[in-house]
Amino acid sequence: MEQSGADRTLRVAIADDALLLREGIAKVLQGGGIEVVASVGTADELLAVLDGDDLDAAILDIRMPPTHRDEGIVALERIRERGDDLGVLLLSMYATPEYALRVMGAGSGTGYLLKERVSEPQTLVRAVETVASGGSVVDPEVVEQLVRRTRADDPLARLTERERSVLELMAQGYSNGGIAQTLFLGLKTVETHVRSILQKLDLEESPEHHRRVLAVLTLLGER
Amino acid sequence: MAHGDRRRVLRRTAIIVAAVAFSLWMEVAGFLATPEAEQREIAYVTLHATVPLVFAACAAVAWAIGPNAVPARLMVAFVVLWIPQAIFHIIGGIGWLWPIVRGIDLVWAVISGLLVLVYPRGWLADRFDRTIATIAVVASVVNLAAVLALAGPDAAPCDPCAPNAYRIADAPVLFAILDYGYRVVGVGLALVIAGRLLVRWIRGSVPARAVAFLMPVSLLAWALAIAVQATGYITSTSTGMVIDTVALLAMAAVPVTFVAGIAHTRNMRARVADLMRITREGADRGLWAESLARTLRDDSVRVYWWDEERGRYVDAAGRLIDSQEAGRGHSILPVASPSGLPIALIRHDRVLTDNMRLLDGVSSALRLSVDNGRLRSDLERTLEQVRQSRQRIVEAGDEARRRIERDLHDGAQQQLVSLGMNLRLAANTARSAGQHELASELEDAIATLNQGLKELRELAHGIHPSLLSQGGLALAVPELAGRCPVPVEVDVQAEGRLPELVESTAYFAIAESLANVAKHSQATRAWVRAHVEGETVVIEIRDNGVGGASLDAGTGVLGIADRIEAVGGELELVSPPGSGTTVTVRMPLHPPTTDAHAASGAALLVAAEASDPVPGAPGAAGVPAGGVGTPLDV
Repeated sequence: MEQSGADRTLRVAIADDALLLREGIAKVLQGGGIEVVASVGTADELLAVLDGDDLDAAILDIRMPPTHRDEGIVALERIRERGDDLGVLLLSMYATPEYALRVMGAGSGTGYLLKERVSEPQTLVRAVETVASGGSVVDPEVVEQLVRRTRADDPLARLTERERSVLELMAQGYSNGGIAQTLFLGLKTVETHVRSILQKLDLEESPEHHRRVLAVLTLLGER
Repeated sequence: MAHGDRRRVLRRTAIIVAAVAFSLWMEVAGFLATPEAEQREIAYVTLHATVPLVFAACAAVAWAIGPNAVPARLMVAFVVLWIPQAIFHIIGGIGWLWPIVRGIDLVWAVISGLLVLVYPRGWLADRFDRTIATIAVVASVVNLAAVLALAGPDAAPCDPCAPNAYRIADAPVLFAILDYGYRVVGVGLALVIAGRLLVRWIRGSVPARAVAFLMPVSLLAWALAIAVQATGYITSTSTGMVIDTVALLAMAAVPVTFVAGIAHTRNMRARVADLMRITREGADRGLWAESLARTLRDDSVRVYWWDEERGRYVDAAGRLIDSQEAGRGHSILPVASPSGLPIALIRHDRVLTDNMRLLDGVSSALRLSVDNGRLRSDLERTLEQVRQSRQRIVEAGDEARRRIERDLHDGAQQQLVSLGMNLRLAANTARSAGQHELASELEDAIATLNQGLKELRELAHGIHPSLLSQGGLALAVPELAGRCPVPVEVDVQAEGRLPELVESTAYFAIAESLANVAKHSQATRAWVRAHVEGETVVIEIRDNGVGGASLDAGTGVLGIADRIEAVGGELELVSPPGSGTTVTVRMPLHPPTTDAHAASGAALLVAAEASDPVPGAPGAAGVPAGGVGTPLDV
């Protein structure tokens, strides 16, 4: 992933009503070689920034003024409505699967992370890079919650333990390569696991990476 | 008590039987002892003997239904004192006895007069009555004294009588004056009583004349007959069979009308009971006047209500009472609450004053009804205030929870996240500077901090789920269900967002119920259904567990039930042992307003005041607009 940063410096904007965090995030990203073009306090200000500048990614707090509800997600949906496909990473104090699904549903190049990931600079930087390049990122805690959910006739029961680990990484937005790297497996092995999982869960193999994340998340959410 | 009752009945029966036997003996023995030439016709004697029998029968009835024992005792006394003149043929030879009997042989007339006077209350009610009674008694005593002291052997029809044992002087003229005078006074009193009652009867309202006032009519007939007889006695002319018969029939009519009148009053009391029943649930002023007129059989009844603001009595239309209202022929009955607060005036026909028990009953009914209404509206107002304050407490609690969660989110959580980030930067710096020990200590601190953050997040979520304020039930309930270790099927159909209070109440109800499912039910499946049906939010939490749950068992559900009631909803728990548990919650979609005055109970009677469209016509009062008893349409 580091090599993508070497190609070209990513330019991003941050929107969070907490000044302290906003500056911290900027510091972390700058430390990871990402250029923070703008740092604002509301979603509307961010949209204005995007109007004037061609950025690679935007980092948004979900809960911002004026209603402190879901301004970040609404802004994401407006960005996608405008046909803008820059990467959007949403930050939240809570790991809420329902929001994760809504964020993923907005299209590719989106991510959903817990705010506390700012204390894991690599995670944050990697997430920004992933969404900027059209990939998907879902916080592991969201996936953990989803997997922990109990359902009658749980389809996950049909998976082996290894397949479960692979599924969780799939849900977090990892590519086959990323999964292979994380689990120290060969790419071929991972591909075999993925095929088996999709088959067992009755999911279609999608050529588009983002669709796979969404399908897995949806399945987990609907179980 | 039943035992005592039976003994009393036995005693009364014995008294009546003895009196009747004595009376019949006097009649028969006297008739047999009378020389054939002097004997009256059998028909007359039979009729004469029948009069005390009628009194005796009426005494039995009067004892059972009378206002007190006085009328019945008077009637029994009448039976004993109904002394036939023929008795002197038996006792004429006893010098110490016949003058006494001769002295009291008209007391029955005094008794029948008293009987009329005590009608219907059982006692002498006013000064006029007491004066008449006193005159009659004094006259009787004087007469007895005169007979004892002056009566000669020809004073009684015993031919000849034994010498009067008490005689102290031979003054035939004085005796004749006193003897005739007594009769004149008696007839005069009878005529006065009859005339007075007749005048009242004529002035009375038409319905009141019916049964209750047959009494003076029979008394008048009797008084007239007596008068004619007395005239005959004084002028020593025979009065003839017709007059005699009429007198006896009139006499016999007195106790019958007395008893009939009492029975009628009882009927009136039954109507008071009806009045109670009609107005128990609270009645407006129109209905009251109408019911009163019907109960009292008096269309001229008017009810004037106390107007607290003006400190005056007003009629149903709110007009001030005319000072002349009492007017001729009418009496005013004030009704006040037990605490002395004036309630109303009832203007009624004066003749009804005779029926104090009825009026007492009516005013009690009115007092009860108005008091009930006041209490009810007080109670409803208080309940409404309690309900509102309960709802406000719940709302305030919700608001506090929301604020705490938001304070945590914007404050402590952000600070801690920021702290974690700074620790990370410090750790990185330390590592770059080769201080690996410090770096790993800092990393440990970060791990602890992250664990703390996670717990804080759970805590904040428990205080108030941000997802609920952000996405409503449709988002929050599935998330809630996802946290339950028992698989839960969720079906939430709520278009858009519901009022915050409803959402949070529903959310916590579901959360508590699911917590119980997880803790106690041993269920393998659970179902949550939340639908909006019209103006009601219906939530059902069901499981397939062991059942047997009750509201008493866990304060959790009880607390939720309280909360739901506070917003005007209800919680129902069905949990038969072995068949799972179903919690059903119904809440109004829009909880009633907590505005302090909007829903408070309308003041009694004030509401009715405006609802009577026919001023001054209580009998034809309009349809009540909204019962006073139910100021709250809940």
